[in-house]
Amino acid sequence: MRQELVLLAVILLLVILEIFMNNKKALVNWALVIFGLHTLTGFLPMDEGSLFGGMYQTSQLVHLFKNVLNIGVLIILLQSAEWIKKEIVDQHKSTEFFIMMLSSLLGMYFMISSGDFLMFYLGLELSALPIAALVAFDTTKRVSAEAGIKFILSAALASGTSVFGVSLIYATTGSIYFDEVAQLLSYSNLSLVGFIFFFSGLAFKISLVPFHFWTADVYEGAPIGVTSYLSVISKGSAVMILMIILFTVMKPFEMVTTSMLYIVSVTTMFIGNLFALRQQNMKRFLAFSSIAQAGFILLGLLSNDQLGVSTVVYFVSIYVFTNLAAFGVIQSISTQTGKENMDDYDGLYRTNPKLSLVMMLALFSLAGIPPVAGFFGKFFLFTAAASQGFYFLVFLAVVNVTISLYYYLLVVRAMFLRKSDQAIPYFDSSFTMKLGLVLAVIGVLFIGVYSPIYEYIYQLSIL
Amino acid sequence: MDILSLFVVVPIVTILALVFAKELKQSRVIAASGMLVQFLMSLNLIYAYFKEKQFNDDIMVFTKDYLWFEKFNIHYAIGVDGISVAMIVLASIVVLAGIFISWKMEDLHKEFFIALIVLATGVFGFFISLDLFTMFLFYEIAVIPMFLLIGIWGSGPKEYSAMKLTLMLMGASAILLVGILGIYFNSNAGGGNLTYNILEIAKVNIPVEAQNLFFPLTFIGFAVLGALFPFHTWSPDGHASAPTAVSMLHAGVLMKLGGYGVFRVAMYLLPEGAMTWSNFFIVLSVIGVFYGALAAIKQTDLKYINAYSSVSHLGMVLFALLMLNKTAWNGAILQSLSHGFMTALFFALIGMIYGRTHTRDVTKMSGLLKVIPFISVMYVIAGLASLGLPGFSGFMAEMQIFVGAFQHPDMFHRVATIITVSAIVVTAVYILRVVGMMLMGPVRNDEFKGFEKATWYERTGVILLLIPIVFMGVTPIWLSDMIRESLAPFIERML
Amino acid sequence: MDFSYTILIPLIPLAVFLLLGINYNRIKPAVSGWIGSLGLLVTLVLSYYTAYQYFFVVGKIGDVYQSFATQWRWMNFTDTLYIDMGVLIDQISVMMLVVVSTISFMVHLYSRGYMKGDPGYTKFFAFLSLFTFSMMGLVLAVNLFQIYIFWELVGVSSFLLIGYYYTKPSAIAAAKKAFIVTRFADLGFLIGILIIGYYGGSYDFAVLTDLEGSVITNWASTSFMGLSVITWGLLLIFMGGAGKSAMFPLHIWLPDAMEGPTPVSALIHAATMVVAGVYLVARLFPLYYFVEDGYALNVVAWVGAFSALFAAIIALTQNDIKRVLAFSTMSQIGYMMLALGVSGYSGHDGLGYMSSMFHLFTHAMFKGLLFLGAGSIIHAIHSNNLQDMGGLRKYMPITHITFLIAALSIAGFPGFAGFFSKDEILVAAFEHNKLIYIIGVLVAGLTAFYMFRLYFGIFWGKDTKYEHKPHESPVSMTFPLVFLAFMSVVAGYIHFSEYVTADHMSFEAHLNYPLAAIAVGVGLLGILTAFVFYKKPGNLPEKVSKGFGSLYHWAYDKFYFDELYLFITKEIIFKRISAPFAWFDRKVVDGTMNLIGNSTVAGSEKIKKIQSGRVQDYAFAFIAGVVVLAMIFIYKWII
Repeated sequence: MRQELVLLAVILLLVILEIFMNNKKALVNWALVIFGLHTLTGFLPMDEGSLFGGMYQTSQLVHLFKNVLNIGVLIILLQSAEWIKKEIVDQHKSTEFFIMMLSSLLGMYFMISSGDFLMFYLGLELSALPIAALVAFDTTKRVSAEAGIKFILSAALASGTSVFGVSLIYATTGSIYFDEVAQLLSYSNLSLVGFIFFFSGLAFKISLVPFHFWTADVYEGAPIGVTSYLSVISKGSAVMILMIILFTVMKPFEMVTTSMLYIVSVTTMFIGNLFALRQQNMKRFLAFSSIAQAGFILLGLLSNDQLGVSTVVYFVSIYVFTNLAAFGVIQSISTQTGKENMDDYDGLYRTNPKLSLVMMLALFSLAGIPPVAGFFGKFFLFTAAASQGFYFLVFLAVVNVTISLYYYLLVVRAMFLRKSDQAIPYFDSSFTMKLGLVLAVIGVLFIGVYSPIYEYIYQLSIL
Repeated sequence: MDILSLFVVVPIVTILALVFAKELKQSRVIAASGMLVQFLMSLNLIYAYFKEKQFNDDIMVFTKDYLWFEKFNIHYAIGVDGISVAMIVLASIVVLAGIFISWKMEDLHKEFFIALIVLATGVFGFFISLDLFTMFLFYEIAVIPMFLLIGIWGSGPKEYSAMKLTLMLMGASAILLVGILGIYFNSNAGGGNLTYNILEIAKVNIPVEAQNLFFPLTFIGFAVLGALFPFHTWSPDGHASAPTAVSMLHAGVLMKLGGYGVFRVAMYLLPEGAMTWSNFFIVLSVIGVFYGALAAIKQTDLKYINAYSSVSHLGMVLFALLMLNKTAWNGAILQSLSHGFMTALFFALIGMIYGRTHTRDVTKMSGLLKVIPFISVMYVIAGLASLGLPGFSGFMAEMQIFVGAFQHPDMFHRVATIITVSAIVVTAVYILRVVGMMLMGPVRNDEFKGFEKATWYERTGVILLLIPIVFMGVTPIWLSDMIRESLAPFIERML
Repeated sequence: MDFSYTILIPLIPLAVFLLLGINYNRIKPAVSGWIGSLGLLVTLVLSYYTAYQYFFVVGKIGDVYQSFATQWRWMNFTDTLYIDMGVLIDQISVMMLVVVSTISFMVHLYSRGYMKGDPGYTKFFAFLSLFTFSMMGLVLAVNLFQIYIFWELVGVSSFLLIGYYYTKPSAIAAAKKAFIVTRFADLGFLIGILIIGYYGGSYDFAVLTDLEGSVITNWASTSFMGLSVITWGLLLIFMGGAGKSAMFPLHIWLPDAMEGPTPVSALIHAATMVVAGVYLVARLFPLYYFVEDGYALNVVAWVGAFSALFAAIIALTQNDIKRVLAFSTMSQIGYMMLALGVSGYSGHDGLGYMSSMFHLFTHAMFKGLLFLGAGSIIHAIHSNNLQDMGGLRKYMPITHITFLIAALSIAGFPGFAGFFSKDEILVAAFEHNKLIYIIGVLVAGLTAFYMFRLYFGIFWGKDTKYEHKPHESPVSMTFPLVFLAFMSVVAGYIHFSEYVTADHMSFEAHLNYPLAAIAVGVGLLGILTAFVFYKKPGNLPEKVSKGFGSLYHWAYDKFYFDELYLFITKEIIFKRISAPFAWFDRKVVDGTMNLIGNSTVAGSEKIKKIQSGRVQDYAFAFIAGVVVLAMIFIYKWII
């Protein structure tokens, strides 16, 4: 519970500071510092336990995962700071950005450490609503507002179906506590339907096909900081809770879940990749690539054991850093020049070599090319799937890896191969942005090669 | 630091040094010196290997083993036998020569050398690995720089070629990944733990149906890089667009990873699978051999000619590997080596000629023997070597292959063998065609008269490659016996 | 007696080659000429010394000629099959040593005059040394693979020397043709070697030709399409030999090879390399004779006989003197082949074998002489067309006399070398196969005729006016002529049956007077006709050739074999096979690969419109997804 409390304290502190501090730019820096401290405190050891009669429960793994989320959010905030100072401060709502993002994060905390469906649902909503506001944050942009509406509507639908599913499950079992449900749940069409409805709610957050349609529009419309938040933090935590529920609560449905994940992951990989092929806008592009990535993650969920859990958590944490590195580059370029299209990146290497290198590393990591982290993440995910004998699924997955490689290389081609006379001129990003990028790159470079990280995750991966 | 890991460390150090290089002079000197060290180390490795073999008759020598990912039992396990030693020497020589050839690289020189050496790192790592995971990792590290190397410094439809080459090779490696996972999850058939370690897996007998399932995946995964028909089409375009040094490295070294991997992984770990599938793949390889040679006849672009002849020669390597006997295998390895040197030499010379004539179209050139004698004479020599003239490396490799292939008395193998043998005539045709058209004859257009003679770095590169060709050709017995000894464990697996 | 020093015989020319080749632009021409010739002189001395040692000192134990082999391991194939490099000293190899070194030395001396002032002087001598090295290696080979290796090397040196004037398109074409045709023949040779190696279990001549060895004793154990596999192997090997020795139908490269400098034609394409085929068959003679009762040997005989006749007929009609000589070479080699073909093994039966070697020896001398003489003429009047010549006897007496001697010798005029060897051949043929004998006699007549057509045409006939007066060649060129002329006479008086025999034992061979008389008569007839036709300028020849009509034109156009081959290569292989392959690769194979990529992109284009941007569609998709999933599992479509 400690992290939740500290985070809550941070949020309140920010509210107070908002009232008393006039220099908003300085306030932004302070906010960063404070959240940084919170991130650090997260690493203090903490023992497992449960509260409220099991409504809230936490394990070392969840604790670790929260830290990953913290780091992710920290990086996002660092990367967004420049943009906030430039555009938002004048609109007098810089702190709202922090407050809402952090409260959404708080929701994530509760969601992933929930012990029953009620707490889960509270967390889900707490995390969803602020995001809706954040998506529409840039009121000067029409697309942003449109994206906000789209998100809130889809989210409402999703959580509606989800909670309906929960109610069905309650109807069949008479309990909402995970551990009780796990015992009482039996295979019946009603519970099955309930489960599927419930699943769709999370599938929406993870943006699995066919629950993914909101993704592209929202990612494109939202401010980049928010987009990256959606693509890593909210997706990551959703995956986490989905995994927990699948592996603990839905054990009786193992057979169903397996084949369902099989179908969904295949469709998700193919649809995501095929859409990503043609995207010109970098944000849309990464939106679809993140859909495809979600498809890969499901491969890990197919192996219902320590191996599966560890590989998923491992992949997600790698994915957080990788995607944030990519979004960071996009954001810095967009804040400096407002350009977000792929062909704006032509000849980027000759003007901004460092940014291009970061981008290339990120893309290689997404494509799963050694020696960057993504390679290890993917390889282990596939290992997990193969360990259950899903060789054909792995085959389909590697076919998709090849397709995805194509469009990742398109960006590399734009940056390195192309020469352009109106290439983006050299610019110097702010310190915070650099820090954000460096953190992300460190993650990309070392999480894979430095094996103890995986070993550590593996030890904790007991649900 | 052990003698083998240095082969990975030295390139990495060189790369780090290159990062600080300012202008061309520095970067090329750094790259050259780094690879020179590599080259000397490889010579020392031969010496050390022979000395080690005196008292140590393990399958692999200089083995080191560091645990990496405990859960998956992934190790950084290294070691060499005669085959990999030979391959390492090949790689180090070709890389060094490649750096000399690209001595005048102007645009983004630093990045060029870095990418080149990243590729080299992957190659060396691949040859020393005993662990499928690290092997695969190095394999991909070796492949991916090609995209930048062709795409940035290439010519012609470079973006298309680079994309095509990268996708086909990475696609192949993706298929390979499935095969490797399959091997991994069957590696506990003997009751032990799952392992990626080749020597460990070689001890167990993977169930036959698993072998039959995963052999084609592994084989194709590697053989695409070895230009297996019909997956060879990346190679003509890729070579045509690539800059000289890259073509050299790619055809000379990278394509050897294919044959080596097929041998070391697919055939060594999945022998029954190999027996089941051999005839099928023999057909493909024979098609490759003959068809590559015939397709080469009609080409007019020097690089296409050489690319197709590579398809033909490497088809012969796969063909020999599938003959499943010691002699043919010996020939396959020798052919890999000799083709590596010869084709690198070819591409180097083509690059020099192109640098002067600014065309690669043989019909547009003539009488080069008069104007650039050194390069032309070297081209003739390379040509004779590649059509299998005795006294050069190609001959003895091909003879090993033919004699080995002839050990199968049944009709199918006989026919396949005779078709393959007759390819050497076709080879003679297209080689002499180029020599006659381009080098001989009167000097038709006059700006040819003004060509500068070969510079010192060009000569160095060429001589570096020529020496091993002649050495192997004149005294084959040392090399072939060194490889022969290393083949024993493979034979035991087969029987 | 240890003959291992003979390894120097090939190595010295090799050293010379490397020396001249590596710094071909640093050495002065004159110097390089000397280096080359001196190197050859050493080889010559060594060869003669070896010959003396072998034949007169240590060669014979009892009355059987021994063979001495020294060999070093070169490469291992299997535990039983391997390649050795070494020197094999026996009757025929020593005889060939003498031939090669003699002719080669003479050609070296001659070239120092003939090639004077040529820009590539040094290169030329380097190539000559390279050839000598390869030829010596071939002669001394201890096993099939060694002979194949040097076989290829002589092939390439011949390629280099034919293409010596590499700026001349015709020379390039000729060089390519020679290399590729022989290469094609060598393909058969190689496969033959592989067969013999696999079924015979060894490549060593010692093992293979061992009369008690496995090959000769149980050749019948294997069979393929009605013949023993060994026989197939031998036939394929003979294919290689036929290619090098320009036997029908693989002869087409030899006439074109005359594009090379004349000394080269003398050395390679008359005296030494082209007889390699004969040497090869002789080398494996026991196999040819004993396996399947000489089935393969019969083929050799007929191919030889036919080629002899075929070439002689064409030679009648050609006007390029070098081409006439080329065809005559082909015809004479045909003689040697048929002699081997009709030969028996032991004692006097082996006459054919002996006479073949004998003719090889004498032919090397007088044909070398003829070519060098032709060279001296071409050197003088810068043309090799018979029409531009005539009455040269006044200007170049030495060339005239020596040429006459050579012509008499090849025509088999009594007392000259050719007479003896040819007579032995005809005797052997007569004893074994009458039809072949008749062909032989016929060819003898034709030979006499076309040689003297040449002789009279060049030195007598019409008195051509030359713009600048031709003069006798320098001594460096005339000395070889004289020496070889001397040899073309005395070589005949060597008792070959003492020294070179199939069964390594001497036997007595005598002139068979009746047969000799017939041969001489036919020869004289030929000479006489030529005399009548060409001694005085006249239109008699035209009339006669008209009389023969189309046959004459066929012969003049070499029976259109070049055209045939040209058609096969250009039309069939290039246009009909290779081009389609290239197209197929670019369009079909590569097309498929591209198609995969493009269709993926196209697919993404197709589904683009699903992403409509309208939330209600999204909601619909959402619900639909849920429902579909639910249905799937409720109705158990999966699991």
